[in-house]
This record gives sequence, structure tokens and C-alpha cells, in this order.
Amino acid sequence: MSHEKLIYIHPAPVRVWHWLNAAGIVLLVATGFQIRYAEILNLMPLKDSVSLHNFAGFGVIAAYFLWLFYYLSTGKIIIYFPDPSTFVAKAVKQVKFYGYGIFRGEPNPHVMTPENKFNVLQQKAYLGIMFVLLPAQMISGVFLWKVKGYSDYIHLLGGIRIIDTIHVLFFFFFASFLVVHCYLATLGHTPLAHFKAMFTGYEEHH
Amino acid sequence: MKNLIPPIGIGLAVALACFAAVPLAGAASIENSECFACHSDESLTRSTTEGMNHSRMSEQLFIDETQFSHSVHHNNGIGCVDCHVDISKLDYNQEVPHKKQLDLVNCTMCHEESSNAFKDSVHMKIRGKGITMNCNACHGYHYVTRQEALSVADRTNNGCAKCHNPYQSHDWLPQKNEHFSFVECVVCHVPDAPRHIRLSFFDLMTNKFYSSQEILKILGISENEFKLLLDTDKDEIINVTEFENLELILRQKNVHAIFHAELVAEMHPSVHKINRGQAERDCKTCHSANSPYFDAVTLVLTKDDGSSDHFQVDRAVLESFSLRHFYALGGTRMKLLDKIGFLLLAGGFSVVLGHLAVRIATIPLRRKNEYAAEQSNIQEEVSR
Repeated sequence: MSHEKLIYIHPAPVRVWHWLNAAGIVLLVATGFQIRYAEILNLMPLKDSVSLHNFAGFGVIAAYFLWLFYYLSTGKIIIYFPDPSTFVAKAVKQVKFYGYGIFRGEPNPHVMTPENKFNVLQQKAYLGIMFVLLPAQMISGVFLWKVKGYSDYIHLLGGIRIIDTIHVLFFFFFASFLVVHCYLATLGHTPLAHFKAMFTGYEEHH
Repeated sequence: MKNLIPPIGIGLAVALACFAAVPLAGAASIENSECFACHSDESLTRSTTEGMNHSRMSEQLFIDETQFSHSVHHNNGIGCVDCHVDISKLDYNQEVPHKKQLDLVNCTMCHEESSNAFKDSVHMKIRGKGITMNCNACHGYHYVTRQEALSVADRTNNGCAKCHNPYQSHDWLPQKNEHFSFVECVVCHVPDAPRHIRLSFFDLMTNKFYSSQEILKILGISENEFKLLLDTDKDEIINVTEFENLELILRQKNVHAIFHAELVAEMHPSVHKINRGQAERDCKTCHSANSPYFDAVTLVLTKDDGSSDHFQVDRAVLESFSLRHFYALGGTRMKLLDKIGFLLLAGGFSVVLGHLAVRIATIPLRRKNEYAAEQSNIQEEVSR
């Protein structure tokens, strides 16, 4: 492997955020299942899973602000916004690649660069996740953490049932996303290439 | 509609049975008015502590007649001497027309079941440590009112919180505030006592519960018509549709009341049997699907005298969007969300497994294409 083929894509703050976030989400999903299905699962006592869920939740919130600060302060936040003028054409290409070309061994139509590391489908997905789903999950989680303390806000938003529904639906989404995300990460030039890159920061160009 | 028998009612039934069976010596001869002739005097106090029982809280002998007239005992025709049975006659020739030191009132005469439960409780056992706790420590003396209409906060303040500060213990309990706000102490501390989810009308704007009269006035109906309005299919239980209809009717009347839900114990004698180490500490008992704690659900109309009318509600209401202001983690979860969640997870796994299967199946194709590409490159190199 020559050094010319290595490109520094993931700076340290992004990697720190990513793995903090990943650990937090895994814990949240695991404890989330334990909390919701206490009569079926016996991973740990319910009260411990609630405490761990709370700690992990605040860990993810802290990591989120690290992510937000880094991307806002460097101006790199724009990588999350797809260009509307080319979005459809690029999205079609990308879908064709994932649904057909990848099986034939065709190259990925999107070439990663430090300025543009996401393909348009990733941009669209992560835009929704980082700016809508995750904040909604964090806010609803904080409300559920102190139902009594935030009762005014909870009533304003329609009641605890509404907050819980949002939190649970997004919980299932994130649980499902975790599976898909891990799988998609194996679609590099080798199954572990993207995983390695998220530790070293360097993606290999082919 | 199922009418929950209030424990006070049981007590009174026992009381009335007692009176029917045992003629009380002074009941026929001494009217309350004779007692109030002296005891309505606010300045009436005991001038000496001689012979005072240690459990007495005050030397004041004044009884507020108005307050007494609202008591559950007075409302059920129980007079002063029905409890103060050692007063059989009044001798006005004496400075005090009855004996100066009356016997302790024996509540057991009527409330036998409650008394038996109390005898087997930690509150009785503390007598071994020199602490005497009588009925009046919680219930008071002359102004006992019905408790069933009280919220969790009022029940706690009027009862356990007189002696116990729940915040000084319960460190093991997650979400203390939430539990103390929505669950009556007795529900966990006497796990065998009957309990139910109590739904009452609450105004978020004024932060007050609606009384029976207020709700009936808003709806423009009488007490009897309320049941007919709710239970349209006359099956004695309010189902989800009927519950939603009630909410709709309130909206049409421009009333934005919410249904405030609390987990409370029924006024049953067994609630007196509180003992150390017997409280429910397994979170899963409540916080799991089909928890027995949510089997009984009642909508209550509270009355000024502290009583309330109960209307049985289908448990499914707790697990639906009809009740948006109550959720017990896991215990009242919506099954629909579980189904949607299952579909989301199944979708994620299907995409992954499907894609992976095709990836594996097309490995030969990719190898062939790579080989063809390599051959083509070699030919290009050679031709150069």
C-alpha cells in the first residue's frame, strides 16, 4: 500500500465524536430494549438499565455538542447539505451503484475527499439524523428523564404519551440504523477498510 | 358501572351494624347540641395536665362545629357519645358535667377490620420502642373526612408525610419525584392492598382538579346522566371509543381538561397493614406489560364531602393515545409502537441480509470481471 493512496478524511475530533457517539448509541439501544421489554429481557436489573440509559444519553448529548462545535467552527458543516441542482442525478447514480454496480465490482461513483466525504444519499440521511432525529431524540430523552421537572413543556407538546411515542419510534429507527450503518461500513474496498479509517483517519483511495 | 366500595363505607357499614346490634348507653339521651353548648367555646381548655394521656396533642377542648358537621362520622349520623361511650349522662350540677378524663375512643368498635390490619403493622410494633401511634395520628380526631377523592399529593400530606419525609429515603428508587407524584405510598408499601389507576379531570390552566359539580355543570347534565353519556354501549365499562367521545364532548364545550392519572390504593382496611421490608422493590412488577398494577382503571368524579363516584375504564385506554398525559414505563406501553418497531428492525435486517446474500452470490461475477479487467490491462501494456 503506497502513501499516495491514503487520504486524511476523518480528523481527530470527528473520530472522537464518532466513537463516543457509537458507544453511547449501542448502550442506549441495549438498555432501551431492556427498559421497554423488562418482562422478556434479563440483561440487567431495570433500575440499573434506566441509570445506564440516562448516563449514555447524556454522553451522546455531550458528543453531539462536540460534533456541532467542530463542524460549525470549521465551516465543514456544509458537507451535510447536498447540492439541490445535482442531487437527483447523483442520487440515481448512487442507488444504481448500491443496487447493481457494487455486485459487478464497478467503482463507487462518489469519490471521497476531505471536503466532500459523503455521497448524496449519505448527505441526505445524515442531514436528517443529525439535525432532526438525534436532536428530537435527545430532547424527548431529557424530558423523559425528568418528567415532573419538565411537565410544563411536556404538556405543551401534547403530553407524555406523545413524547414517549417520538422517543420510542426514533429508538427503533436508531436500532435499525445501527444494523444498516454497520453493514454499509463493510462496503469499502475491503470489509474492514472504513472501520479502520474511522480509527486512523485515513481512507485508502482506489 | 362498577362501584368500588370505599373502605370508609365498609367502616361505616360495620359501624351501623354495631349500632343496630348494640344499643349505646348515651346515644338516645345526649344530643350533640348539648356537647356543643360547651365545646363550641373557643376558649374552653383543660386547666390542668393531671391525668392527661400522653397521646393528646393539645389541651384545647374546643370543637369546630362547622368542621365537625362535614366529618364522615357526623354525615353518617354518628354523634359525640357514640364514640365517647363513657359519657352516659350529663350532670350540670358539676363544674364539668361528665368525668374529667374521658377514656380513649375505641375506633375498633366499628372499624374492626382496619384495626386488625393495623395490629399487624409496623405502626403497632413501634409501641415496643415506646412510641404510641393511635388512629388519630393519621386520621385526626373530630374532623375525619373521606379520603377517596384526594389526590396522591393530598393523601401523602394528610397521611404518611406527617411523620415521614420520603425524600430522606428511597435513594435506590430512580425518578423519585415522578414516583412520589403519581404513586400513593401505600401502593408500594402494602403490595397486597387493592389499588387502581384513578383518572380525574384536571385543568392545566388553573392547575386544579375539576369537581363533580363543575364537570356536570359544564356538560349540562345531572349525576345520573353522566353514566349514560359515557357508557353508550351500556356494558358497564368505558372503552377507548367512549373515552375519546367524552374528550370530544369536553372539547366541544371548550373545556381543555386533561385526564390526570395516579396510582392510588383503595380505601380498604388492608392499607393499614404496613410493615418493614414488605414494600414492593421490584421495578418490573409495575414496569412490564400486563402488570397487575394497571388492571383496575377508574374515572372519578370527586365530591365536596371527599367521596367520589367511580366509573370503570378499560385498561386499553391507558395504552392508547386517548390518555396522553400518563405513561408508566413499559407498563402501559402501546402495542402498536412495538409492531412498528418490529417492522423497522425487520426492514433493517432484511435490507442487510438481502444485500449481503446478493454480494456473496455475485462474488464469482466480480472475480470474473476483475480478471477480465486485469487481462485487458496486461494486453494494453503489452501492446504499448
